[in-house]
Amino acid sequence: MLHNYLKIAFRNLWKHKTYTLINTVGLAVAFGSCLLLFLTAYHELSFDNFHTNGKNIYQLYNQTGLSNKGVPMPAPLTTALKKEFPQDIKHIVRVVSGGTIRYGDKSFSKTVRYVDEPFLQVFSFPTQRGARPESALSSLSSVVLTETAAKDIFGSENPIGKTLSLQDETGWKPFVVSSIVADYPDNSSFRFDMLVRFEADPTYQLNKDNWDDSYHTVFLQLADNVTQASFEQKLRGVVKKYYAGNLSNLKRDGSQPDENGDLYSLRLLPLRDLHFDPEVGTAEVPPVKKSYPYLLLIVAGFIVVIACINFINLSTARSLTRSREVGMRKALGALKSQLFLQFWGEALLISLFALTLGGLLTYGLLPVFKQVFRSTTSFSYFQQPAILISLLIGFLLITFVAGGYPAWFMARFNTIKVLKGGISLNRTSILRNTLLVVQFAIATLLITCTVIAWQQINFLRKMPLGYNEDQVISIPIRGSINGRQMLRLLRDRLSQQPRILSITGAYKNFGRGLDGSTVTSIMGFEHNNHSVQSHWQIVDYDYLKTLDLRLIAGRDFSREYATDTTTSVIINEAMAKALGDRNPIGALMQVDSGRAPLQVVGVVKDYHHESLKRKIQPNTLIMDQGWPIGYALVKIAPDNVPATMAMLKKTWEELDPNSTFQGSFLDENTDRLYKAEERLSQLFISAAIVAIVLSCLGLFAIAVMVMTQRTKEVGIRKVLGASVLSIVALLSNDFLKLVVAGIVIASPVAWYFMNQWLQDFAYKIDIEWWVFVLAGLLAIGIALLTVSFQSVKAALMNPVKSLRTE
Amino acid sequence: MIQTVNLQKLFATEEVETTALHGISMDVRDGEFVAIMGPSGCGKSTLLNILGLLDNPTAGEYHFYGTEVSRMSERQRAQLRKGSIGFVFQSFNLIDELTVYENVELPLLYLKTPADERKARVEEALTRMNIMHRRNHFPQQLSGGQQQRTAIARAVVAKPKLILADEPTGNLDSANGEEVMKLLMQLNDEGTTIIMVTHSPYDAGFAHRIVNLFDGKIVTENFHV
Repeated sequence: MLHNYLKIAFRNLWKHKTYTLINTVGLAVAFGSCLLLFLTAYHELSFDNFHTNGKNIYQLYNQTGLSNKGVPMPAPLTTALKKEFPQDIKHIVRVVSGGTIRYGDKSFSKTVRYVDEPFLQVFSFPTQRGARPESALSSLSSVVLTETAAKDIFGSENPIGKTLSLQDETGWKPFVVSSIVADYPDNSSFRFDMLVRFEADPTYQLNKDNWDDSYHTVFLQLADNVTQASFEQKLRGVVKKYYAGNLSNLKRDGSQPDENGDLYSLRLLPLRDLHFDPEVGTAEVPPVKKSYPYLLLIVAGFIVVIACINFINLSTARSLTRSREVGMRKALGALKSQLFLQFWGEALLISLFALTLGGLLTYGLLPVFKQVFRSTTSFSYFQQPAILISLLIGFLLITFVAGGYPAWFMARFNTIKVLKGGISLNRTSILRNTLLVVQFAIATLLITCTVIAWQQINFLRKMPLGYNEDQVISIPIRGSINGRQMLRLLRDRLSQQPRILSITGAYKNFGRGLDGSTVTSIMGFEHNNHSVQSHWQIVDYDYLKTLDLRLIAGRDFSREYATDTTTSVIINEAMAKALGDRNPIGALMQVDSGRAPLQVVGVVKDYHHESLKRKIQPNTLIMDQGWPIGYALVKIAPDNVPATMAMLKKTWEELDPNSTFQGSFLDENTDRLYKAEERLSQLFISAAIVAIVLSCLGLFAIAVMVMTQRTKEVGIRKVLGASVLSIVALLSNDFLKLVVAGIVIASPVAWYFMNQWLQDFAYKIDIEWWVFVLAGLLAIGIALLTVSFQSVKAALMNPVKSLRTE
Repeated sequence: MIQTVNLQKLFATEEVETTALHGISMDVRDGEFVAIMGPSGCGKSTLLNILGLLDNPTAGEYHFYGTEVSRMSERQRAQLRKGSIGFVFQSFNLIDELTVYENVELPLLYLKTPADERKARVEEALTRMNIMHRRNHFPQQLSGGQQQRTAIARAVVAKPKLILADEPTGNLDSANGEEVMKLLMQLNDEGTTIIMVTHSPYDAGFAHRIVNLFDGKIVTENFHV
């Protein structure tokens, strides 16, 4: 019997090739898109899950009242925590970045992290060679390298025991390689090439007892029996004991307490949430909102629903062609259950084929997908049994619903009616129409969301940032030459070049440069009996000129004033407001109690020195010589940009042959800040296209069936004098009503979700009514195009022929 | 073999109620050939469906080989139908996706007949219906007569005691119709009971008895000797 079922299944599929193709291709595309979206979502959700101690690891952060979270901590805090809670804390690890590596006469731009000794015991980065995790960092002169970094630096040499040099503010220092660990996986928030002991950081000796300088992050591995809530409760005591001065200042300034009534609190962020907290998460792997992977899964679900709806609609509509078979099989004694199994089996066959095709599609498209959407996900996730089993269950569930309903529908055919050929496709099947409405509602929802997301991204891109973004190139200074020296050399070499308009330097970059790093430094101090917090940017001469910042009061930094490299500052309008002085020019700011006060010499018009997700914050520009210059900023003439870029690169490499030129325009850097949103909107666009194409495929097939059913009606109407146009309108009308219903359902839902999404941005577009009209018209247009092909064909048919076909 | 007592069949929709059968009581003996005649809409096919266990009567009794079947569930009727009743329809009702051989084989598959025996019986039926040479053809490749011969082969392959034929010659020309009737006669001569619905007095002439229906009632019964 099985043989008979298979035979008839294959013959049926072959006989109705269009239907088979639509069903198989539709399902395969849906499965393929779903698998890609699933892989991406799973990758995001799997971040930092590979650490064996993961459930006990937390990052420490502080929160001032209800305002922003902060991660930098002062060095003595860890000592205090260890002393206060020796039982609760298993390990405590401080992390700070820095340094350039040199081996022999070659410099390497690598990510160096100064960490505490137990780092490799807390986090799971398996040792490949050399000392074990417990002893790898036991010496202050030991370093640990990742496999790739070791290969880059030492080539085929055995790195263990080799000495390399690390540069800090005080010069080059030797370190011995003690251990090689495996490269961090793609789903790790921690990225490093080399680990050095925290105490080897040159600033450590200065800061180890300084509560005022917060400059490193802290991770805790709590004992197994300690919960996050109980430890956070204990941390309230630490704040009271060690942050008393801070608390009284906050109280005086009228700060708002948080939900627990605390003005200032120390809190824990579980490691598994690190990737989903934009305020606490690491800068090198931009965190995503936790809703993002779930959103992808929802979109994947939408696509599968659309494909399932196609499957159900096509199968039930097509079931008529099998009605005689059903009737005859029943007359010969087949049971309903036997018929159900037969037809469901056929659906399973198609689905299995589609899944295989979809799997191949995923495998083939993954490299392109990863490139286009800048994803680091991997096909190897499918090797995990849990993933495979859940996919299998999902697949069976989908086929049970999509194939099961039509099978049940057919098995229930009335034997007598079908044997007499008395069953016809109901033109107004409630289920089919509902499903078509759902399909078009989803498609319209995706179109609308896409249009709004695209508008917002475009709005951010086009919004004037208040500085020259398209003519200024920022170049990270990471080689063996120190920043200020590099700046001097650049000026010497390039100042005569007509294509170079101006050169300056800064501690922090704009947006995210090719070195991938973003830095935030904020200073807090007392001014006229209130606390002021300001972003701190170390700059060099010609900063205003290079960036075209508009001076609205006072003057620019100048070589004519000796104090400009020590105590002069230029502030933005927001900072002037924060200071609260009637005339900010000349105002004195006592930032460091041990040093001379800083004096405001100029005020610049507000510009967006941070992402547009945040309102413009107070910002201070200072030429403090004690801070390093991390980036050279070069303004170039707008003509012949490639040649200028090439000249810059050549000069750079001549000046420091050991470093790589990583220059990029500021507008490219700021674009990188919206990478997550851009990626999301690109994914949405792609998903919307897939959804629309699948919906149209389904609509097309249904239109074919319904038109065939109405051939006789069309013939009669034509004989009675109906025009082609009126028939096309009549035939298309039924479908258009459904599409309009879908639009009506989708529009408020889209408005709600996109309004929520926009709340994330400090600068955002207003959702306009015409977006919904546009999305609606688009959906109607596409549907009309799909259906009208069939309706015109039916309307043009010779009535004699169409009446004969009945 | 078959006995009905006061069979009633009512078709009800939301708006109309139609009485298709109005107290049909009849006996059919083993080996009999009965033709049911009457104008369109008189209830012929409804009666045939009930006799063929494809449908249940609204009221009355139906004894099929001594078993009262009128209240049986669809599942029970399907079990009883399997192998004991063969059907021949005006529109042949062959499955387009199966070959002649496979169409005829189908009843035996539902009866779970072993493969060897299945093959022998299908070939025997095909040979008998003179359609063996077309065994690998699909229904669309056959003439109307050949299709009906295939349908008869399918009806007899399980060797049922009863064959129900619903206007078996309705879609055929006279030559092919004649051939089909001869086949049915032959089956009847070999002992198979046949109940046939027809409009054609000529075809009815082959039967032992003609039952005339009008408005769901038996109005006359004519016996041929």
